Amino acid sequence: MHFADNIDYPPLLRRPVVFLPLLAILFVALLRADAAHWAMVQPLLGGLSLGGPGANAAVALGLTALIGGNVYLILGLKLRWQVYVVWIELALLLIVFFVSFDLSWEFIRRKLWLLVSRGLVTTLYISAISIVCASVLALAGAIAKLSSNGIAMGIANFYTSFFRGIPLLMQIYIIYLGLPQLGVVIDAVPAGIVALSLCYGAYMTEIFRGGIESVPVGQWEAARALGLKPRAIMTRVILPQAMRVIIPPTGNQFIAMLKDSSLVSVIGVWELMYLARTEGQTEFRHIEMMLTASMIYWVLSGTLELIQARIERHFGQAHVR
Amino acid sequence: MGLAGLGLVVGLALGGPARAGDTFQRVRARGALIVATNAGWMPQSYINDDGSLSGFDIDVAREIAGRLGVKIRFETPDWSLMTGGHWHGRWDMMVGSATPTKARSHVVDFAGVYYYSPYVFVVNRKSTVRRRGDLDGKKIGVETGTTSEDYIRRRLAIDDVNAPPVVYSVRPGAVHTYANSMLPFDDLRLPPGVRLDAVLTPEQTALGAIRHGYPIRVLPDGYAFREPLTVVTDKGDPAWTTRIRGVIAAMKADGTLKTMAIRWYGKDYTS
Repeated sequence: MHFADNIDYPPLLRRPVVFLPLLAILFVALLRADAAHWAMVQPLLGGLSLGGPGANAAVALGLTALIGGNVYLILGLKLRWQVYVVWIELALLLIVFFVSFDLSWEFIRRKLWLLVSRGLVTTLYISAISIVCASVLALAGAIAKLSSNGIAMGIANFYTSFFRGIPLLMQIYIIYLGLPQLGVVIDAVPAGIVALSLCYGAYMTEIFRGGIESVPVGQWEAARALGLKPRAIMTRVILPQAMRVIIPPTGNQFIAMLKDSSLVSVIGVWELMYLARTEGQTEFRHIEMMLTASMIYWVLSGTLELIQARIERHFGQAHVR
Repeated sequence: MGLAGLGLVVGLALGGPARAGDTFQRVRARGALIVATNAGWMPQSYINDDGSLSGFDIDVAREIAGRLGVKIRFETPDWSLMTGGHWHGRWDMMVGSATPTKARSHVVDFAGVYYYSPYVFVVNRKSTVRRRGDLDGKKIGVETGTTSEDYIRRRLAIDDVNAPPVVYSVRPGAVHTYANSMLPFDDLRLPPGVRLDAVLTPEQTALGAIRHGYPIRVLPDGYAFREPLTVVTDKGDPAWTTRIRGVIAAMKADGTLKTMAIRWYGKDYTS
């Protein structure tokens, strides 16, 4: 907890008024959902085949007891360990869920290298270039929006309004199909990068603007009073403080961009999603490919989350006791 | 000026770069033919394990490039982008099993039919449907934007004088359209009638699904219809289209196409 209270309340889940109704609801839900027939439950039963309505009740009761006991045990752990154990348990549950699909692991192994070496690499470099371009655009847009130049403000306002207001897929089509009408025949990959940069630049303009505005006016005045030049005020005083506010939503944008880059598959770029889709289609194994691609995306965004946490710590130093 | 001027400007903007004879010169100067095709359609054209394209369409395209004496490069844009025309010289031709429909003839040129694909109705193995006639009033699934959708909606207009005549047979209760050719098969796996009763699809796709363990069967009473499939070129360069048409006719005459069809489909789909 962020601000630990010094009064001891009994934890919510330890109170009978709370956990008894919850367990009852869980039991009824499992009973009605016919838990005994779930593919996920079969490995737990260990090949034991039970019949009749009694079996269903027994399975539901067993599962309720299992979940209740599990929660009870976890509540006894230290906070840190509670988080770890819940994470591991949810991950295991997800794996059991996927395994129950009866996937062809041979197919996944055979295609994994292609997905990573072609798809992931393409996704990564498209996202990386777009993220850099979007950040530059966003900084320029934010400064323009906060400036006292009416033309710059107008352009920036129009830009954010237009590119936040129309779907990214349309932007990709407009750039890929529209620019050739003006005589500029642009290839698929550059078209995708331009579209992603423009779209995310527009979102991030607002984030940057909000971040810069969150720095109190007193900071500007103090910096001015110290005789700093406007440029130095921005780079030495305002931006370092704004970064603390800018980083978390920007990290979100990066993760979202990683997944939105899959939209450029419509113009035929062989990125991760495109390959997953087409490879799955050739052998009627699309669930395998979709899950594999999803896991790759997840690992990637997990990595980005870690990086984001580090940067946040760096810029948040002034606010940590 | 006024409207006429506007028309002129728009006309110039939309006119495209292809002038007579341009495409062939461009291809020769580049030393390579750029072919648009699909990437997820076994056995027409698909990405194999080592990440390159294979399939019947790919072999046909390679053969055309070989006969033109140039190398080949493939690109895999979205289906609607390829069949929508206005390529702006991005691709020199499309070998992607496209049907020459009337609607498409307004935006692209057809350089010659190279094979015919038969369509069949597929049902769940547990389904009680025995004949095509049993499908009246049922829920039929098709891939959207394809000839199967046009057929089931009774608006299939093929722009090819040699095409076999189309006879509409089923009057569906509801048509469900899907974004790709796989999704209808997944819905067909569920018990009959839950989401779909039948799927209308090319024979090869149906056989592929059965080979990969889908609990479905093909309705036995013959093909629903056979559609011609053509190589496509962009509008605006008739000389180029004629040149490709000549190459395809030669491939058909000397039996090359037949050999390729038997290799990939197990049957002679070329006549």
